[in-house]
Amino acid sequence: MSAAPFRSAARPRAAFTENADPFSDYILVVEAVRDAWLRHGLCAHPSDRTTAESAVAQLYRQSKSREPEFVWVPSPSAGSNRIAAEGLSMPMSLEGNGIHGATAGIATMLSESRKCMDARIKRRVSDWPNERRAVETARVKPPEDAARVGISPDRIIRATVWDSLHTTLFDGVAAAIRTLLPPAVLGVTWYGQQEAHRVAYYDTYRRLGLAKFHSHDDALLDANIALTGATGWWWAFDDVCVMAERPTTLHSEPIPGRVHNEHRLHHSDSPALEFQDGDAVFVLHGTIVPDWVVRDPTAERIARERNVEIRRCAIERIGWDTYIDAADLALVDQADDPGNVGGTLRLYATPDGWGRTGRILLAINGSPERDGHRRQYGLHVPTWISSALDAAGWTYGLGGDDYARLVRRT
Amino acid sequence: MNATMTLSALTALTGLDVFDYLAQEVSIPVVDGLQAQGDLIVIPYSLLADTVTSAPWTRSENVPLSGVELLRSAAGGNPHSLVADEGGCTWSTPVNDPRRLALGILDSRATAYLIHPEHGATGIAPGRYVIGRQREQGIGRTSGRAQLVAD
Repeated sequence: MSAAPFRSAARPRAAFTENADPFSDYILVVEAVRDAWLRHGLCAHPSDRTTAESAVAQLYRQSKSREPEFVWVPSPSAGSNRIAAEGLSMPMSLEGNGIHGATAGIATMLSESRKCMDARIKRRVSDWPNERRAVETARVKPPEDAARVGISPDRIIRATVWDSLHTTLFDGVAAAIRTLLPPAVLGVTWYGQQEAHRVAYYDTYRRLGLAKFHSHDDALLDANIALTGATGWWWAFDDVCVMAERPTTLHSEPIPGRVHNEHRLHHSDSPALEFQDGDAVFVLHGTIVPDWVVRDPTAERIARERNVEIRRCAIERIGWDTYIDAADLALVDQADDPGNVGGTLRLYATPDGWGRTGRILLAINGSPERDGHRRQYGLHVPTWISSALDAAGWTYGLGGDDYARLVRRT
Repeated sequence: MNATMTLSALTALTGLDVFDYLAQEVSIPVVDGLQAQGDLIVIPYSLLADTVTSAPWTRSENVPLSGVELLRSAAGGNPHSLVADEGGCTWSTPVNDPRRLALGILDSRATAYLIHPEHGATGIAPGRYVIGRQREQGIGRTSGRAQLVAD
């Protein structure tokens, strides 16, 4: 970071190593900015409509569009329904000039502004050696440690601010909300609070004085900061702007093993995410699940579930031991899992009169999860199989003798 | 690619990502026998020579260093990718398989690697292999029929 006292211009990396302390203050600022935006991103209070409308109106004006009428809806899916019902979206075409009107104007303006800011930031990125390794190091190390081993401030800010918020909000929360909407939503969707990674990133550079942006870009950044801090999803049309309220409930937990305060949605007893109109998503430790997994995970329902990931979530909620008891599964056979050190294959029979026939093979993953544990999986296999090795072999279309020759499992 | 590749070297070379908690600096074993990566299995061709064969419609392509995506997970993310030095390996698909599990046939003159974000990487020694999927018994409406594992 430019204001830091390097001992020698020729030995900047040594200066990072020996003189890590001066960076602590910068890093505190970077983390504070990130955490403030994380709070905005996860905020479940009613939208600040005045601020949001005035910011969006500014975006319309600056992109030379007439200010729209604002229509507020209680949730993103209510917004999407409204757009479809009122035919607000103009057909978009890849031919000719592509999209038109206010949407195109705003999207183009924001994208160009980001390009300009990126160029200003890039100007200061030095030729640090081992760039690829630096990206990786910045991602997995806490910022203080990364600075200490000579990772450039740009890489640290990217990992600490942009990547962290992108993971939590854009890939996490917004992706969960998308499951509530039809696959094709008409018009260009902006995610508001879940796009905090962008404003936080540029805001960090500006606050630390690491980059100076053009006044036009500064003004747009301010509008975006106001907007991102005030509301959720929105869609810009020529005469109307559809604005969705923020969720009324949002529960998350830190992602284990991450160092940049990344969060994932989670609530074990109720929806992790809910909107005013009752639209809700159930999420267990970041996995989106149907409501029964949270509300009523019974052995019967688990047995009927098609998706192994969802089944695993449901079984883990009641526990494999409880599940095997509750489902009255009898152990038929077990064997060491070849190629999978410490892994055991267990073959269980389901009782007669259970509405279905079959056996369940309980196996364990070859690779650990982030928390160091290896995940167990139950797979249905045909009733005629009575050996655990045959069962495992069958799942891959092999006989038990061949499967026994498995050398390695990852 | 040499035989003592580490996960970090492999991800740097190919541009593919794996989860950060996997051991990055351990050299990746190269196996010439049967091996599995999650719901995918690599089977020496000799075991299935009578079962899996190429067909008139089978197409072969060189496996690039940037990888061929073999299988995406049910949720849309986390693919298994096959990577190798350019020109060292060919991947032929689709193939005949009455079991309907084979994704294709790998012919390699150099070490190929199978990479997955959650499972890390594993090396495949030169040779001919069938790479196939995992199945389980159908339940409920699909009872009695086998279905592919939706990981």
